[in-house]
Amino acid sequence: MRLMRLARILLPLLIFASAATAATTIPPVQYKHRVLPNGLAVYSVQDRTTPTVAIHVWYRVGSKHDPEGRSGFAHLFEHIMFKRTKNMPSEMLDRLTEDVGGFNNATTFDDATAYYEVVPSNYLETLLWAEAERLGALAVDDPAFQSERDVVKEEYRFRILSPPYGRLFYAIEKNSFVKHPYRRPGIGSIEDLDAATIDDVQRFHATYYRPDNAVLIVVGDFEQQQLDGWIDKYFTPIPKPELALPKLDPSEPARTEEKRLTEYAPNVPLPAIAFTWLTPNAAHADAIPLFVASTLLSEGESSRLQERLVRGEISQEVFADADLREDLSLFGIVSIMGGGKQPAEAEKVIRAELAALAEKGVPAAELEKAKNLIVTSALRERETNNGKGFTLGEALIRQHDASVVNTGLAQVQAVTSADVQRVVKKYLIDGKALVLTYLDEAQKNEAQKK
Amino acid sequence: MKRLLIAVLVALPLFAQQVTPPAPAAPRDPKLPVPVEKTLDNGLRVIVVPKHDIPLVAARLTIKTGGAADPRGKAGLAELTATVLTQGTKTKSAEQIARGVEALGATLVAGAAWDATDVDLSVMSSNLPKAMEYVADVVRNATFAKDEFEREQAQTIDALQVELRQPRAIAGAVTSRLIYGEGSYGATLSGTPATIGKIKREDLTAFHSRWYVPQNAVLVIAGDIKADAAFTLAQNVFGTWKRGTGEYARSAATPKPGAPRVIVVDMPDAGQSAVVVGRQGIRRTDPAYMHALVLNSILGGGYSSRLNQEIRIKRGLSYGAGSSFDPRVDVGPFTARTETKHESAAEVVGIMTGEMSRLSASDVPETELTPRKAALIGGFAQSLETTSGLVNRISALALYGLPLSEINRYISGVQAVTAEQVRKFASTNVANDLNVVVVGDAKKFLEPLRKQYGAVEVIRFEELDLNSPTLRVRKAKQ
Repeated sequence: MRLMRLARILLPLLIFASAATAATTIPPVQYKHRVLPNGLAVYSVQDRTTPTVAIHVWYRVGSKHDPEGRSGFAHLFEHIMFKRTKNMPSEMLDRLTEDVGGFNNATTFDDATAYYEVVPSNYLETLLWAEAERLGALAVDDPAFQSERDVVKEEYRFRILSPPYGRLFYAIEKNSFVKHPYRRPGIGSIEDLDAATIDDVQRFHATYYRPDNAVLIVVGDFEQQQLDGWIDKYFTPIPKPELALPKLDPSEPARTEEKRLTEYAPNVPLPAIAFTWLTPNAAHADAIPLFVASTLLSEGESSRLQERLVRGEISQEVFADADLREDLSLFGIVSIMGGGKQPAEAEKVIRAELAALAEKGVPAAELEKAKNLIVTSALRERETNNGKGFTLGEALIRQHDASVVNTGLAQVQAVTSADVQRVVKKYLIDGKALVLTYLDEAQKNEAQKK
Repeated sequence: MKRLLIAVLVALPLFAQQVTPPAPAAPRDPKLPVPVEKTLDNGLRVIVVPKHDIPLVAARLTIKTGGAADPRGKAGLAELTATVLTQGTKTKSAEQIARGVEALGATLVAGAAWDATDVDLSVMSSNLPKAMEYVADVVRNATFAKDEFEREQAQTIDALQVELRQPRAIAGAVTSRLIYGEGSYGATLSGTPATIGKIKREDLTAFHSRWYVPQNAVLVIAGDIKADAAFTLAQNVFGTWKRGTGEYARSAATPKPGAPRVIVVDMPDAGQSAVVVGRQGIRRTDPAYMHALVLNSILGGGYSSRLNQEIRIKRGLSYGAGSSFDPRVDVGPFTARTETKHESAAEVVGIMTGEMSRLSASDVPETELTPRKAALIGGFAQSLETTSGLVNRISALALYGLPLSEINRYISGVQAVTAEQVRKFASTNVANDLNVVVVGDAKKFLEPLRKQYGAVEVIRFEELDLNSPTLRVRKAKQ
């Protein structure tokens, strides 16, 4: 239970990329695909096991599109999308979902924003209407905007200021990139949130919330012909804007040297150390081997870093994450130290384990174990309509390819020990790390005294 | 369902001139699981819930004893016993277990709740037989080796040091102590660094041999397996598990609640204040259980409940606010919780207690009652869609000695609750005798809080002792 408890503290900010998915043992996700004349991409998966349906709309706009001086705006905007539209008062989405036994939510990623609902399937048409409504006609007023901005500031306190390691993840985001907009933490800052205005909201909606920048995914209990008819009825009339979508410069200079930073924060009972490395985007051939490497390093008690660091009583908690993204990915390893242990001790072990992977590779049985863990985790994600919707959405945003949901696992199965060796050597040994040490602020005063 | 939607629209006159959403079609009923069961000769109850859409199985071996059985001063024993359980058996080392389980792609996690200890397995169905051997091995043959115990003990203390720096965790632990005093539910389930430090290896082996026996256990298997195959598997791995010789029936023993208190834990460098309001709630077997569920759905269960409406949606004071009953074998707690900036902590306390009084003062209108019931029923239906959700639902019924057929009565039970029953339940079980706990930067909210409550006790974080009913570190004699 120890690991799970800490994982709850740590994971909300590190969005996990589940790259691997289908296999021969996994029932394929049988999706239908079409594109409306206005550019809206539509994916549907019929599954009539339970009388529910998941409706997802993924917009290709995420935290990396925050306007300059407005870090956190894409996420703030996500909250605003639950407010008034031309034909819906604020929070009507809750009336149409929660009040009838469903739920709704939204998530802002670096690369995209996902809005989703799960409802009893007899409400499918109602929700398609509602999603078309907020794509076509957001009409938020200033008091609602101000109040929701306060909620987001509380979310900032809740995620960043209150948990002992909240500021660590904030610092990782802030310092891992120098040029790419990924350098701005998705939650933003109090100052930037305060600077945002309702005009920014209207401009952002007009710029990015358009049918040719969105994907509609419907999974669950429906009649195909009826679904297609409803989509035509509610989404086809939404015009495609004349203006071209703004292009974002996805470049980031290669790191030329290792960078070391120390971050201090209040109420940090155990020091921590974090490493990040720049790795290729999710669609690159090296992404899957890196994902397998992260599994070998930290998934399960028998993974290499769990055994050496946690079982070895050096760390309280450790995890590696391949964090696959659309433009370039960020491989991270974070260790919270055990009582009385210093970050340097974990660093030594982490470097040695990376070197061992690069030099000796992985025994067949250990590689097989990692692959089995990935398959089972994919199965769990596919238990629900909502989970299948996420699998599709992530593949479309990160790899620009829905078929990954059915071929991704074959790619995982094909990863060899030599692949793991090669990517670990190329990116995690030869690549330059950001090394971030995280200490209680009492130690800052001590450091200053010296 | 259609009537409900019209009611919502009538309440919002804006809609008169606007385009209204398309009305829903006729609903389909959710598919309810059909559990089948058998009791092995040694008394182990085995329940199987077949579900074949995904090649996945979840299994849970529940020991019907948890943190409530921790000896006084050794809070966290049940949890620590569960943690060390998977760290070595008579024939396998901790590494062999972890490697063997993970080679199957499985996860095996053991942990304690107040009334139960759960050993949970999730595995693809083709690997279930092999994985179940590991479940049975750790449950029956765990050795609690000295070095494994000491490692987990040290790591639990580290984890608690992190956990108990979080205002929300501190506020929750203080509230339990206020509600139950020295009663067993008054401690923290995972213990504190002090109580974990006092536990000896022999405490774990004694807890294990006393409570981990077949007639004090239930095995639930849900997912892609046929009932016969599951029973055979259970017989193969647990058939020779020896019966225990002790008494396993629990006697309920909840202490009478003391006078409610208002406690501030002063933590000047906390990033946000945590607020908890709470009191004793109900037993799981209370005939008014459904009243509590519906009441909570109105008050603080889910996004559109009153607390979240008032605190987050209307006033922007928090990222979220909610409440829950935690019905147990004995009377479990009722708590409402939120986090807010320090300056608004006192205001939020007023809103929370105000909403609890409002529930007892007047009937909830049908236009609100109906959607809150629908939210509850929807959540129930969603929980039946996953193998782990099925295991949760079924094992909870078994744990509290309720008939498994209750699963068929959940929806009608919720629908039968009336506004009057909710109001009456609120006046006896929610509106009064509330303890209030705020953990945060006291100077920013103490004055307005004192205006609401005359007697506010302030405890500095450094002086807080969660193991004492006074909540204060005992001062050395002069």
